[in-house]
Amino acid sequence: MATTKLGFIIQRPGYKSENPKLALTHAIASQSVEIYLKDGDLVTADIAFIGDGVLNCIKDQKALENYDLNSTESHIKMSLLLDLNVLVCKEDLDKFGLSESDIVLDAPEFGADMEVKVVSYAEIAKMMDDMHHLLFF
Amino acid sequence: MADLRSQEPTQTLDVLGRVCPYPLVITKKTIEKAPNGTLLKVLCDAPASAEDTIPKYCEKQGFPMELIKLEDKGYWEIWIKKP
Repeated sequence: MATTKLGFIIQRPGYKSENPKLALTHAIASQSVEIYLKDGDLVTADIAFIGDGVLNCIKDQKALENYDLNSTESHIKMSLLLDLNVLVCKEDLDKFGLSESDIVLDAPEFGADMEVKVVSYAEIAKMMDDMHHLLFF
Repeated sequence: MADLRSQEPTQTLDVLGRVCPYPLVITKKTIEKAPNGTLLKVLCDAPASAEDTIPKYCEKQGFPMELIKLEDKGYWEIWIKKP
């Protein structure tokens, strides 16, 4: 039995490129691969928003209206539904003048139990140290 | 296993309109959180999930499963028993 820990680090703003959504889609998809692994082997995925990437977490995104796209917000909420660990860098939120009340923190309407955690960069660095593989988007 | 469909499901999960891998991961998470003995009925219109990944997951976990495609409705009903 082995657990492979993947860390998805999102550092680009939403809608400028596909990267943030790709990160979230890959993190979610990683939870489906165990059907192809040996019995007992698992893959976990942690997601961290840092730098400009924290802008992806702003709530009430109007992506469908403005860009005719599904919102990154809904992908974050889906990650919470799947119990993925979602971290947002507090220092970077502060840099943009954002607080917890400005970002997606939970997804009760999706039935999610997990919540986004706003943490210091030191905690995100610790999470990154703990991962087997880091993927930057 | 043909008798799963004759039983009243404990829970119904509607993943209609969702594309891969969402039907599988949502089904997986729902089953993980459900108590033993749960009979889950999944409504799914993603062919790869309905005919490949969800059955593979059930087989790997040892969960009895029954699948029926409702041709007139264009989706599958998947019955999964968590022992």
